[in-house]
Amino acid sequence: MIIAKIKPLEEVQAMIKDFKRILNVGCAGCTAICLAGGQKEVETLNTKLAVSFKEEITSPLIEGFTVERQCEVQFLAELDPMVEDYDALLSMACGAGVQFLAERFPDMKVFPAVNTTFVGINRDIGWYEERCQCCGECVLAITGGICPVTMCAKVLFNGPCGGSQDGHCEVDKNIPCAWVNIYKRLKAQGRLEQILSVFPARDWKNQTQGTFVLEEYQDRYSYKDKEGSQK
Amino acid sequence: MTETTLRPIDVKKIQEMLTLKKSKMKVLLSFCAHCGLCAESCFLYRNHLDPKYVPAYKAINSLGKIYKKKGKVDREQLEEMKELIFKNCVLCGRCYCPLGIDIPSMISLARTICRSQGVFGVFPYAVGEP
Amino acid sequence: MGETHLYYFIRGPLLWIAFLVFVGGIVFRTVQFFKLTRKKDHLIYSPTKNHKERYGKTSDQERKMRFVVSLENSILGQHQAVAILTSFFHVLIFILPIFLLAHNLLLYESWNFSLWSFPESTGDKLTVLFLIVALFFLLRRLLLSKVRALSRTSDYFVWLITVTPFLTGFICYRQWFDYHTTLIIHILSGELMLIAIIFTKLGHMIFFFLARFFIGSEFSLSRGTRTW
Repeated sequence: MIIAKIKPLEEVQAMIKDFKRILNVGCAGCTAICLAGGQKEVETLNTKLAVSFKEEITSPLIEGFTVERQCEVQFLAELDPMVEDYDALLSMACGAGVQFLAERFPDMKVFPAVNTTFVGINRDIGWYEERCQCCGECVLAITGGICPVTMCAKVLFNGPCGGSQDGHCEVDKNIPCAWVNIYKRLKAQGRLEQILSVFPARDWKNQTQGTFVLEEYQDRYSYKDKEGSQK
Repeated sequence: MTETTLRPIDVKKIQEMLTLKKSKMKVLLSFCAHCGLCAESCFLYRNHLDPKYVPAYKAINSLGKIYKKKGKVDREQLEEMKELIFKNCVLCGRCYCPLGIDIPSMISLARTICRSQGVFGVFPYAVGEP
Repeated sequence: MGETHLYYFIRGPLLWIAFLVFVGGIVFRTVQFFKLTRKKDHLIYSPTKNHKERYGKTSDQERKMRFVVSLENSILGQHQAVAILTSFFHVLIFILPIFLLAHNLLLYESWNFSLWSFPESTGDKLTVLFLIVALFFLLRRLLLSKVRALSRTSDYFVWLITVTPFLTGFICYRQWFDYHTTLIIHILSGELMLIAIIFTKLGHMIFFFLARFFIGSEFSLSRGTRTW
C-alpha cells in the first residue's frame, strides 16, 4: 500500500506559522495504516504543534478532523461545511489526497504534513519496504516475483550489469543485486530458462500523468473525439 | 490512551451531526426491507458467513441505534458498535442493495460520530499483538 | 344493521381516504426523493483515443464472457430461488387486485366501467400461488440466520398486513367463514396496506424504481444521473 512518512515538525511549523486558524485533515486510509496520518497522528501532531507554538507570540488555533479517504469525493464532501471557518488546511493524506483536497477547495491554502514515499509492504509494525513503482507494465511473471524496476539500482531488464559483486550492487554494498536474486529464485523454482527471455526497449508509458476509465464505464462519461482534444 | 477516551460524550455534537444528515439517513433506514440480499455483496460476509457482517445489519445496529436514541448514547454503547463499523467493515463501498440504499454513507457517518468522541478502530498489531 | 353501516363506510369514504393517502403519499415520497438527491456534476473524460480505437472493438467472445459474469454476480445468479419467487410475488401483488373479477364488478357498480379481468378460476389459482410464495418468504425470514438477525417485529407485522387482504379475499370467495366479517377484514386490511405503503418499509415499492433509475451506480438500470 501507499507508505508515507510524517514531515519534521519544524518543516510543518514553518508552513503554517502565518495562519490563525488551521484544520488538520487526517486520512483513515493508507496513511492511517502506516501510522503517518490517521486520527491518532492528527491528534499527536496537533499537540506537538501547540507545544512548539507556545513560545511564539501568536499561536494559531489548530483543530483536527479525519475523513475515511481523501482520495474519494464522497468523503471529502464531509469537509464542505467546515472549511470556511479556517484560513489554511493541513493534510496528512498521501500526495493524491492532498491534491484532491486542494482541488476541491481551490481558495484554501493546503499544506502536506507527510511525505509520500512509495508503494510498499509492511514487514512488521513500523517497518516498511518499497516494492513497487507503479510502472504500469508488470514483469513479475518472468522475474520470479522480484521487481527489476524497484530492486535494481540501474533498472536493468536483461540481467545484472558488470558491477554486480558477490551478490551485491556496486552502488552500495548493502543493496543485494536484484538480478542475482532473480536468478536464484528462478533456479529454485526450476524455471531458469525464463531469464533468457530478452526484454525489448520499454514504453515507459507510466512516466506521464496517467488517467484511465474502465471500459465498462466509458459510455457514462462523454468524450470529445476530435484530435488534439483536452485530456 | 489519549485524553479523548476519558472525555464525556458530547451529545450536542452528535445531535448536530445527526441533524445535518437526518432527512437522508432516516429515509434510507426506513426503506430497508430487511431482505438480507446485500449479504452476498460483502466479501467479508462471504468469508465469515456471520450475520454480523451483513451490510444492513452493520448500518442498522450502528447508525440506526444512534438515531433511535436520538444521539443520547454513552461511551459503552459506542464501544459496542466499534466492532461492527471498524472491524466488520472496511468501507470498500462494494455493498449492493437491490433497492438502491447507500449503505457506505451510513457506516461512514457512524464512523465519523464515533471518531468525534474518541472511539475508533485500533489495528491489532499497533498495541503489540502479533 | 351495524355491520351494514360499517360496510358502507369502509367501502365508501374510508376507501377514498386510503386512496388519497396512497396517491398523495407517492407524490410526497417522490418529491422527497428528488429533494434528497441532486444532479451529478457532469464529468467529461476526453482521452486522445477511446478504448475502441486503442484496443479495437470488443470481440463477441469478450462480450459473451462479460454477460455471463454479470449474470452470475446479479441477484438472479446468487439467489435464484429468491429472485424468481420475488418476481412472481411482486407481479402478482400488482395485477391480482387490479384484474380480479370481483374488484372489477365493484368498479362497474360504482362508475360503469371496468378493466379486463382474469377468469375466476385463474384469479383463484393465482391467489393460492401468491399465498404459497408469501409463506416461503416468512419461512425464509424465520429460518435463515442472516435474515433473522435483521428482522424486527415490524417486519412480521408488515408481512401480516400484506398477506391478510389476499387470504381474506380467498376465504370470502369461498364463503368459508362468516362472509360479512371476513369481507370487512378484507377491505380494512387492504386499505391499511395502502396506507402502510407510504409509512413503512413497504415504501420500497416507490423507492425501488426511483433509486434504480435515477441514482448512478454500478447496478443502475439506466444512466443514473443523480446522486445522494
